[in-house]
Amino acid sequence: MEELFFLQNEVAPALWKGLLVSCRLIVPSALFGLVIGVFVGVLRVFGNPFVSALANTYVALFRGFPLVVQLFIWYFGLPHIGIYFSPYGASVIAFSLCSGAYHSEYVRGALLSIKKGQMMAAQALGFSKIQMIWSVVLPQAFRRALPGCGNEIVYLIKYSSLAYMITCIELTGQGKIIASETFKYTEIFMIVGAVYLVLTSLAVWGLHHLESRFRLPGFQHYGL
Amino acid sequence: MNEKKIILQVEKLTKRYGNKDVLKDASFSIREGELKILIGPSGGGKSTLLQCINFLVKPNAGRVFLDGREVLYSRKRDLYSYRQKVGMIFQDFNLFDHLTALGNVEIALVRVKKMSRDEARVRASAELDRVGLGEHVEKYPAQLSGGQKQRVSIARALAMDPEVMLLDEPTSALDPELISEVLAVIRDLRSNGMTMIMSTHQISFAGEMADEILFMENGIIVEAGPPKKLFAQAECQRTREFFMKIAEIYGESR
Repeated sequence: MEELFFLQNEVAPALWKGLLVSCRLIVPSALFGLVIGVFVGVLRVFGNPFVSALANTYVALFRGFPLVVQLFIWYFGLPHIGIYFSPYGASVIAFSLCSGAYHSEYVRGALLSIKKGQMMAAQALGFSKIQMIWSVVLPQAFRRALPGCGNEIVYLIKYSSLAYMITCIELTGQGKIIASETFKYTEIFMIVGAVYLVLTSLAVWGLHHLESRFRLPGFQHYGL
Repeated sequence: MNEKKIILQVEKLTKRYGNKDVLKDASFSIREGELKILIGPSGGGKSTLLQCINFLVKPNAGRVFLDGREVLYSRKRDLYSYRQKVGMIFQDFNLFDHLTALGNVEIALVRVKKMSRDEARVRASAELDRVGLGEHVEKYPAQLSGGQKQRVSIARALAMDPEVMLLDEPTSALDPELISEVLAVIRDLRSNGMTMIMSTHQISFAGEMADEILFMENGIIVEAGPPKKLFAQAECQRTREFFMKIAEIYGESR
């Protein structure tokens, strides 16, 4: 009885607060990450050599540095050169840029899978390169990239837990505070883990829904 | 009878890959309503010539004139507006896989010609009717046969009101049964006065329909003339050999 009382009065409100912060981290980071990913993916495939080298460098850096290190640089490092971010701001920036780098890889793969003939056909009709990318290449590449990008969003949900390392107290951070006050590490972190499982399951369900909404003849996946 | 005006003129087009000339000094001109047919072995430069004409492949040298005006293809704006006037049909159809038949025909009208959606829809439906696909407008490329796909691609080109059409082996990827439905559409265009340059291996179609046949080999236009003359008394030994061989294989099929 005492346990239940403790759960209801102490754990639930704290974790709820943390969950809201987590969502405020995940949603914008996922959206910005996707936009960055599409943009950078297009530049890597269709940009001139200079631009695509620049985009490749970005991806190499942000995929190569551990995410915690990136968070530390944004939050603890940049103030030394006079740039200050809130813990929340630094987290969203770091997550978006890291996620964008991974998304761009899925987008790039999808862009390369579009047959060259369709691009020639678009150009032969008088499309400019940008019109061609926007109305012929991207709508198809988007469908092909969706499963991979979904995977990246599931990852993002979980690595958003790193934000507490720079004092942005989200779900994991709240869990850690209560756990160290009460020493109920196992119980608390089982609950925290289960909440992440619910979040990722919701994301997977939503992404499947999106995939079937955009499914077209010729783009479906056949089970063999 | 006075001569029809020259629509398209090609002057010494040359394309090099490394130090190999895949197209060398190709020159010809085509008048309104004419059908010129390029014939020759694969790898002879027919596709390269057609793709150089609308600059999908940038030629190393040579000039192209449309209605007597040189096409300055390094100016993007000029290039895009020129390409709108030159329809292109590909061997592999190259339909946009994510759009229905109607969407395929519509999209360039909306994006390139800046027509309203409604206007474009009406025009696109009319063009699909014209090539006999009125019932299939809502189908995606994956749901169409090869012959139907090629007819969609012809409708897509026609919707732009081209002054001349380039057809790059439009029937080579089709089953023998489907070839005739596409050739029928091309025959129809011909009788409606469309100016066309077409590469093909359909020798009997060429013999029946072409105003002039250009025989190409190793990137060079070896010989040109009306079909009767080329079939009966080609000047060049190689041309005669090729026609004899191809007639054996394709002679009967239409």
